[in-house]
Amino acid sequence: MSRIGVFVCHCGENISRTVDVERVARAAEKISGVAYACDYKYMCSDPGQNLLKKAVSEHNLDGIVVAACSPRMHEKTFRKAADAAGLNPYLVEMANIREHCSWVHEDKEEATAKATEIVTMLVERVKMNRKLQPITVPVTKRALIIGGGIAGIQAALDIADCGHQVVLVERDPSIGGHMAQLSETFPTLDCSQCIMTPKMVDAANHPNITLHTYSEVENVEGYIGNFQVTIRKKARSVDMDKCTGCGVCMAKCPQKKIPNAFDKNLGMRSAIYVPFPQAVPNTPVIDRENCTWFKSGKCGVCQKVCGPGAVDFTQEDQLIVESIGAIVVATGFELYSINEKPKGSAIKGYGEFGHGKIPDVIDGMTFERLASASGPTGGKIVRPSDGKEPKQIVFVQCVGSRAREKGISYCSKICCMYTAKHTMLYHHKVHDGQAYVFFMDARTPGKGYDEFWRRSIEEEQAVYIRGAVSRLYEKGDKIVVMGSDISLGIQVEIEADMVVLATAVQPRTGAELLAQKLGISYDGYNFYSEAHAKLRPVECATAGVYLAGACQGPKDIPDTVSQASAAAAKVMTLFSKDKLEREPIVAKVREAGCVACFYCKKVCPYGAVEEKEIRDRQGNLIKVVAYVNPGVCGGCGTCQATCPSKSVELDGYTDEQIIAQIEAL
Amino acid sequence: MPTKNLLNYSYYPGCSLHASGKEYDESTKELFKSLRIGLKEVPDWICCGATPAHNVDELLSLSLCAKNLELSEQVEGDLAVACAACFSRLKTAQHKLEESDEKRKQVAYALDAELAIDKPVKHLLEILAKDYGLERLGEAVKNPLAGLKVACYYGCLLTRPADVPQLDCAEAPTIMERVITAAGAEAVSWSHRLECCGANFTLSRPGVVINLSGQILESARRAGADCIMVACPLCHANLDIRQKEIEEAGDTIYNLPVLYMTQLLALATGAAPSKLGFDSMIVSPLPLLKEKNLL
Ligand SMILES: Cc1cc2nc3c(=O)[nH]c(=O)nc-3n(C[C@H](O)[C@H](O)[C@H](O)COP(=O)(O)OP(=O)(O)OC[C@H]3O[C@@H](n4cnc5c(N)ncnc54)[C@H](O)[C@@H]3O)c2cc1C
Ligand code: SF4
Ligand code: SF4
Repeated sequence: MSRIGVFVCHCGENISRTVDVERVARAAEKISGVAYACDYKYMCSDPGQNLLKKAVSEHNLDGIVVAACSPRMHEKTFRKAADAAGLNPYLVEMANIREHCSWVHEDKEEATAKATEIVTMLVERVKMNRKLQPITVPVTKRALIIGGGIAGIQAALDIADCGHQVVLVERDPSIGGHMAQLSETFPTLDCSQCIMTPKMVDAANHPNITLHTYSEVENVEGYIGNFQVTIRKKARSVDMDKCTGCGVCMAKCPQKKIPNAFDKNLGMRSAIYVPFPQAVPNTPVIDRENCTWFKSGKCGVCQKVCGPGAVDFTQEDQLIVESIGAIVVATGFELYSINEKPKGSAIKGYGEFGHGKIPDVIDGMTFERLASASGPTGGKIVRPSDGKEPKQIVFVQCVGSRAREKGISYCSKICCMYTAKHTMLYHHKVHDGQAYVFFMDARTPGKGYDEFWRRSIEEEQAVYIRGAVSRLYEKGDKIVVMGSDISLGIQVEIEADMVVLATAVQPRTGAELLAQKLGISYDGYNFYSEAHAKLRPVECATAGVYLAGACQGPKDIPDTVSQASAAAAKVMTLFSKDKLEREPIVAKVREAGCVACFYCKKVCPYGAVEEKEIRDRQGNLIKVVAYVNPGVCGGCGTCQATCPSKSVELDGYTDEQIIAQIEAL
Repeated sequence: MPTKNLLNYSYYPGCSLHASGKEYDESTKELFKSLRIGLKEVPDWICCGATPAHNVDELLSLSLCAKNLELSEQVEGDLAVACAACFSRLKTAQHKLEESDEKRKQVAYALDAELAIDKPVKHLLEILAKDYGLERLGEAVKNPLAGLKVACYYGCLLTRPADVPQLDCAEAPTIMERVITAAGAEAVSWSHRLECCGANFTLSRPGVVINLSGQILESARRAGADCIMVACPLCHANLDIRQKEIEEAGDTIYNLPVLYMTQLLALATGAAPSKLGFDSMIVSPLPLLKEKNLL
């Protein structure tokens, strides 16, 4: 016979206003197996918890039901209290009579009856609860960071400074990401290179950071604390140990007319190249598609001129396997391109802007390269078509963003601010020029942000026109911008020399493929999803994987850096112990019943189900069954609901318990 | 010698094509005859309601279109529509009625009949470019429009709103250009292909039309076009009939003939020019067509 204690909470008046808590307690006393019941104003308070602890020993309780708020709120609180009183914490359950009862009902009679039923159900469930012990798993204290933009670099430095090993994987030949391409940065206009390049160097020189550039994550196995990650180091064709970064190879390479993507194709590079002079590492790569040697077997000039003999045409891709305890994903974003829409894309494209075919209609990042002192024009703002200085420049905000009819409904968050910055940079460089901005709203929340935007209007003479642009077309060497000014209710036309489009921030092409490798979820646009929008903003639902920067949603640098440091703090919390304790509410497979259909494996959102071979003593295979890795299982119960042979069950939520609950009704 | 038709359609000309846009109707029939496409007018068709109906009473507009669709069931073949506005109204009605049970019920009640609105509605361009096919069209050309620089003008309704007509890309369509180049003409690249001509304001506020249609003529001239090709009787009226006034207002001379696409295509496929209504246009295309040796 069970000896269960029932504790009914008033929650101030939150519950007692609509539920007669005293009557619920009296009714609970009468349920068979209940040894003690009481009610109290605030069960979660110190006196409330003491009440519970005292009752455990005085009434020799072997199970507890707290009838109060949602288990999400205080299950942990009461389990800890029970533990302190010497009762296994997993023998405590919450009966939710607040969110599920008092808050949603008005009639006190009915609400009281319902609260009593909820309590009865939970009593029946607790009777069958087992004592559970937390699961412990070992932790490998080495972090993997995917993506070497400002987010990845910041997270890597924080974790490495704390004394842990970090493996930083970057897809491009250099780390730096988009921030390395920016000219000056809002809201203070400090030069991006000056604040970024020292961090890049720090990351490369840090004794605890192993840098793999020109590399990608090939495969991920394992679970929190114990990942096995395969990294593909793409063939650089240059030996990183021998290369001194002298740059003779690049100077002598005859293939010099290759558009440099880092400069948004405004500048040219050679076939053996570093994307920009401050690249980290300063070791070139050979772009094999454009190299004469790889195309026709002739040339080889770089190899001949390289003093230390670092150029190696025979290099091949290398696969490295690393043991990893935690993963930070920091793969950043991409800008929406108004060019002809890619096949199969849900986004409609901008035929009215000429599908990107007008040469002096550029995007914001191209403007950054034009304005950058280290850019292809040395910081001169000129038209890509003819090199002339634009005297009338039009900026268009929200291109792609906030355009449900085009396929993207979210706000890209950074464009209002960088467009204001662009008008300033323009005004600083072209004194007799005029900048116009078409905008929907100015969204400038942030410290010093609205002041910055006002400055672009009040001090830097930018003319803001509230309204949309309907068409861009060429007229001679001008671009006619047709739009509306909704404040004046008129149509406007501006003959511009150059047009800059603030195009939407989008996830990386193929972001979903990396997510599938990692087993993390992503939203309808392919931005990676956090576990909880408010309370767990840097963790993925998948244990041991964290998010930093624009891969999770549009973000500026301050937000990116904050999130990166937060992700690093989460990783350090994980690494602070040698073993990891996890909630034991996990699924278990009854191997005798398992028919190896592996439906559970297909439906498990955490990737926790593995195939396990059962062999006899001679090593002959008897059968294959499902096995739930307790380190990975999230305790959602999806497998239990799916299993056709009823062979997998969640501790604390067995079929027997659920049926007992229903029968108690 | 009666030859079998390659394709057959029911045909909804709409009011304009029996009045100010007569040349559009006549040239459509001539063109389809020479392409061996059967065209049978829907008996007792009524006005689609045009702008006045849908501006004032949506139910009226939907009911008029639903009635026409129902009537069209008497004739075999998908419903061919020439006028861009009728096309837009009929497609919009189908779209709205498909989306809303409530509206379907109201219209069925108004018509006092089961709704029969599922017949595919096709603009002539769609029939020529997709059903008939550009290759076959090219083969049917006997009198190629070589050397003729055409500014293809879509106006507002042929491709928009994006999810209704679905004739081609809403903002950067090419269907008119593809059709006319198949007939040997040169399609110029120009900026005002999709701008509004001023439409119905031609009666209430002609100043608007003078301005908007003026920009279209200006843009076509800038691109070096010999003529403008249209697929809408109202666009035609604004660009052709108002051209003199526009010239006066802008103190310039355009002398740009505005032709229905079917006039040009019928000419190319060997129809007799006398049957194509060239002499009833305000800006006469005859000197141009003569100059290009097309007559
Ligand atoms: C035009 C423009 C102007 C801006 N101006 C400002 C400004 O003035 N102030 C400001 O605060 N913010 C500004 N921003 C925003 C700023 O650029 C971002 O906040 C910042 O770059 C986000 O950093 P990130 O590391 O998350 O992403 P990114 O900079 O995109 O870096 C991601 C990195 O991950 C790498 N990567 C991607 N996929 C993989 C993969 N599968 N494997 C390995 N590596 C991968 C990429 O190569 C890249 O190096 C601007 C943005 C734009 C577009
Ligand atoms: S335990 Fe829950 S219901 Fe009780 S006082 Fe705390 S919050 Fe309120
Ligand atoms: S309970 Fe959920 S997480 Fe655990 S194995 Fe089953 S489906 Fe996977």
